Amino acid sequence: MLNVENLNKTFKTDGGEVHAVRDVSFHAADGEVVAIIGASGSGKSTLLSLLGLLDAPDEGSIDMNGTQLAHLDAAGRTKYRSRQVGFVFQAFNLIPNLTAKENVKLALEFAEWPKDDRDARAEQMLSMVGLGADKASRRPNKLSGGEQQRVAIARAFSAQPQLILADEPTGSLDRATGQKIVELLRNAANTQKTTVLVVTHDEKIAKQADRRLEIEDGVLTEIA
Amino acid sequence: MNALRRGVRNAFRNAMRSVGVVVILAVAIALSISMLIARDAVTAKINTVRSSTGNTITVSPAGFFGGQGGGTPLTTAQITGLLSIPNVTAVQAQLSERLTTSQTNLVTPITAGSLGSRFGGFGGRSGASGSTGTFSVPISVIGTNSPGNSLVGGANGGGTEKLTSGTTFSPTSSADVAIVGTDLATKNKLKVGSTFTAWKTTITVVGIYDAGSTFANADALMPLATVQKLAAATNQITGATVVVNNINNVAAASTAITKKLGSAADVTSTQATVQSQLAPLNSVKDISTYTLIGAVIGAAIILLLSMLMIVRERRREIGVLKALGATNRSVVSQFIAESTTFTVMGAIVGFIVGVIISSPITSALVSASGGSSPGGFVRRGTGFGGGGSGFTPPAGAATGGGGFRFGGTRGLGNTLTQLHTSAGWSTLVFALLAAIVIAALGSTVASATITRIRPAEVLRSE
Repeated sequence: MLNVENLNKTFKTDGGEVHAVRDVSFHAADGEVVAIIGASGSGKSTLLSLLGLLDAPDEGSIDMNGTQLAHLDAAGRTKYRSRQVGFVFQAFNLIPNLTAKENVKLALEFAEWPKDDRDARAEQMLSMVGLGADKASRRPNKLSGGEQQRVAIARAFSAQPQLILADEPTGSLDRATGQKIVELLRNAANTQKTTVLVVTHDEKIAKQADRRLEIEDGVLTEIA
Repeated sequence: MNALRRGVRNAFRNAMRSVGVVVILAVAIALSISMLIARDAVTAKINTVRSSTGNTITVSPAGFFGGQGGGTPLTTAQITGLLSIPNVTAVQAQLSERLTTSQTNLVTPITAGSLGSRFGGFGGRSGASGSTGTFSVPISVIGTNSPGNSLVGGANGGGTEKLTSGTTFSPTSSADVAIVGTDLATKNKLKVGSTFTAWKTTITVVGIYDAGSTFANADALMPLATVQKLAAATNQITGATVVVNNINNVAAASTAITKKLGSAADVTSTQATVQSQLAPLNSVKDISTYTLIGAVIGAAIILLLSMLMIVRERRREIGVLKALGATNRSVVSQFIAESTTFTVMGAIVGFIVGVIISSPITSALVSASGGSSPGGFVRRGTGFGGGGSGFTPPAGAATGGGGFRFGGTRGLGNTLTQLHTSAGWSTLVFALLAAIVIAALGSTVASATITRIRPAEVLRSE
């Protein structure tokens, strides 16, 4: 269970202060898929950064299954990210000189997954997203966009995190492929009982989530 | 796959860039290796020359020079007293005398010629006939207490004496024996065991030497005590060579000798001459040192800029790694491994190339610095009528320690360019250390940049 209370984040810029996230509060259950909709500059990425512990909030709390995360130090945030959070990016962000399997194993290495089990786990995760051994040994530039995003999903789920943050996961894909990716995320969330937060512009994608939230000028509201 | 293995693998990620970086590093490391080898070779040469040729001081009676001039002979006591001066390790004394035709049955192998006729009458150095009449070159007899050195040190009017037959006499000998030059022996049909007359005494030839010059091969060497006795010159010394333990102490010892002997003696050292001759080599040593340091720093800067470029290029990737949970240490290790891989490859290629080019580079540096000029040495002998022992220098020396020879330093000039370059374990260790220093320096800015990259930037740049 993810429980966020009164989260605030302000940035200082040349043009003055920007209140990127204002008093954001929400909760999400294990295995729940929550869509966050918002225009560009509305504060979506900042909210994801805070939830993924890539950045620290000025105020507020983030509670994950009873653990307070908002004010962990840098080392604590890094450890939490490696074990409890998975990221899926719009641009996939796979490491280009590593194979699909090695990309998945990278997340397992950072999570200190047992060395002897990493190969099998990576193959299992790639299989889960529909990529066989022939694709597993390919580098990202030898995979299609959809296949790359599948690898990214396999990587994100590999260490059995409690939270998946997907930032426009279908943004670089055609509609059909995007639909498959959303289904993959849903299935993985259900299978592993992982909370998935999906940031998207696409209403059709958002409607497939269990719940929808909208963020505007840093303020988050639930869409009925 | 851990961070180190990823780093090594990343070094081959962009083949063209990797080759470029490695080639540039290899050139810089090759330059530094060749400079190190050149520096070592030059340093070894300088040390050899200094230890063998530059640590002697010549002492002669004031106003006396190789049988010319005037003055009063020094005494054995004065010369022996020099041993008490700090850092003086040996004093080699000699008494130069000449035998006129009335004093010996020996016949000089040297024909007077026009030079003999021109100079023979000066300074009372004429032979049988003085300043008028025909001039006959006298036989030079050198009494010495260091016959061992005299036969290997290059003395007695130039060249290097080599015993061709017989033996030498002991330093403390007072026997009526002599070692004669080959020309003198041939002219007078002398062999080992032959005898000749000097100062009405029968002298036995115990050895024959070849000095490589007509003048030196016309001389005879005899025990100092014998010459002092036969020439009625008891306790008289016409020259001495003082050996100092280190060239750096020569100046102080020279001052002390001057102070001790006062105006009775002329004191000169070979230090200035040798230092002058070594100046080009010192210059090469300095150049190679600075170039070595510059090459290492240059390589580090090249690597630093290359790694900085790579880090900037992979900024997003670094952010992703951090977002996935990689620690700063892990990411920095990965990039250090990458830079170390570049450096090690550059060091291997650079070491091989550096060893190959070190010899021609060293020769070129020495030649360009004027180290090949043999003419820079001062002629120290008198030419005609020269006398003193000049048997001072230890083996291999060639500097005119006796003061009365010419050509004594000539050989040094010729050997200054004969440098032996070699790469030993120390060179290999240097290459490794240089590689580590280059990799460490080259990674610092990149590492600092990596630690400043925030993973949140990855999301912002989406």
